[in-house]
Amino acid sequence: MRRAWRWVIAIAVAGWLPVFFIAWWWHASANSKNPYFPPLSKIWTEFKANWIFTLVPVHVVPSLINLFVGFAIAIVLGIGAGTLLGASRTGARYTEPLIDFIRSIPPVALVPIFILLLGLDAKMRIASIAFSATFPILLATIEGVRHTNPVLLETAQTFRLTNQQILWRVRVPYAKPTIFAGLQVGLQIAFVVTIASEYLGSGFGLGAFTLNATDSFLIVDAWTGVILLGVLGYALSLVFDAVERVSLRWYYGQKKLA
Amino acid sequence: MEKSVNNAITIDSVSMEYQTAGGTKRVLHDVSYQVSEGHFVSIVGPSGVGKTTLLRLLTGLATPTNGSIAVRGQELHGPPQGMAVVLQDYTRSLMPWLTVAKNIALPLKRSGLSKSEVAERVMSSLEEVGLSGSGRSYPWQLSGGMQQRVSIARAIASRPSILVMDEPFASVDAQTRFDLEDLVLKVRADFDITTLMVTHDIDEAVYLSDEIVVLRGSPAEVREVVSINIPFPRSQVASRNDPQFAHLRTRVYALVRGLE
Ligand SMILES: Nc1ncnc2c1ncn2[C@@H]1O[C@H](COP(=O)(O)OP(=O)(O)O)[C@@H](O)[C@H]1O
Ligand SMILES: [Mg+2]
Repeated sequence: MRRAWRWVIAIAVAGWLPVFFIAWWWHASANSKNPYFPPLSKIWTEFKANWIFTLVPVHVVPSLINLFVGFAIAIVLGIGAGTLLGASRTGARYTEPLIDFIRSIPPVALVPIFILLLGLDAKMRIASIAFSATFPILLATIEGVRHTNPVLLETAQTFRLTNQQILWRVRVPYAKPTIFAGLQVGLQIAFVVTIASEYLGSGFGLGAFTLNATDSFLIVDAWTGVILLGVLGYALSLVFDAVERVSLRWYYGQKKLA
Repeated sequence: MEKSVNNAITIDSVSMEYQTAGGTKRVLHDVSYQVSEGHFVSIVGPSGVGKTTLLRLLTGLATPTNGSIAVRGQELHGPPQGMAVVLQDYTRSLMPWLTVAKNIALPLKRSGLSKSEVAERVMSSLEEVGLSGSGRSYPWQLSGGMQQRVSIARAIASRPSILVMDEPFASVDAQTRFDLEDLVLKVRADFDITTLMVTHDIDEAVYLSDEIVVLRGSPAEVREVVSINIPFPRSQVASRNDPQFAHLRTRVYALVRGLE
């Protein structure tokens, strides 16, 4: 009972502003004649028609597949290369300036280059997503693996563990909270690039849908696309937070007690 | 100097220098000492004298500038087999992402023991330190004293012949400290372990040791080696009331303070 109340209060605290905002939008736009800001009631009707669930297989599923495949590649590359570079003092020193430089290029700016190299199909989109999401993960992994607490490292040395064992059993787990911070940034970038990569030469995907809708002055449709993007982005970050909470239970547990 | 096999550890004319911003800093000068097999030896000395430094050399975590160290007749190159180490900062020496049981199993990764043998070792080590029920907890869920018990359990899991500890009880309350001291005596007796401990607590050194090494000076030298001939087994009440006890602690105190 107590617990239930606490949930009700938590939801009320988190939810009152969105509810208020939607109510305000609904009312303020009710009689709107401005073609760019149609009534929310109209958007909502169209939203249901489009996304529950008629167009989902055409425009949502391909975007999500690209996003997940691209992000998965970025995770493997970023953590794999980051672990090796972080473990080797010289490796990181030689590669860091280059990594910093590439990372400084706005991710979206690389999409045209990937189109040149790979054409206009899903391969190009996945490559763009993977490439741009790799760097935050790579840098976070290098950082985390390199700065292992020296007391833990020396403890592991007294166990006579091999360097390999120390790397995978001490340095990488120690780096996990830092790596997760990189993963979070990587996911955000991956989402942006997923949409941006669909602005060119694609008939499918949420990016293409929204762009085509505005090009054709289907403003209501465009609004439904934007709202769905917001919902998807929010859902992604909720899922990410949940995965992080579970994977780093020890980290948050320890922090809470400290 | 001859390296007798009856010596668990032989320290031979060891000097240690650190390179600092202000130049070379000599911390240990010509330190020689032999730890006899089966003995309990404490190293005492003023704060900053070089106790931890000496201990790091003995564990193979650092290499002396001059001189040599042998463990059971073997010259040191890195941490030796058969030696377990409890570092000074125990709250940071347990892996927070591993449960207590997995922490204790970690040093056994290279032991060649089977999975069930490892589980058995973990169980018996936890039992030895009185923490049978805590294998599935995380270290940070335990009190400081219990965490220190875990690091002792982890140290004995590999059944070492030598146990080295740096101020193991520095940050627990007095009652817990007495309990842990008795635990160390029990462990040492149960497994017949040669034990070397750094402490700044002179009473503790007298209570636990066969021999106390007093370091003094800058750079530090072995000022004196004091034999503690209070009979074993020891107990907090009887041994601390032994007429020898007061006499020995006064003497060691004077040596540490440079009052004689
Ligand atoms: N890595 C290091 N570099 C430079 N100086 C050090 C280093 N480690 C210890 N020292 C210095 O060596 C001296 C002895 O330190 P330490 O062995 O930790 O003393 P104790 O354990 O007896 O308190 C201190 O003056 C300390 O500042
Ligand atoms: Mg010290």
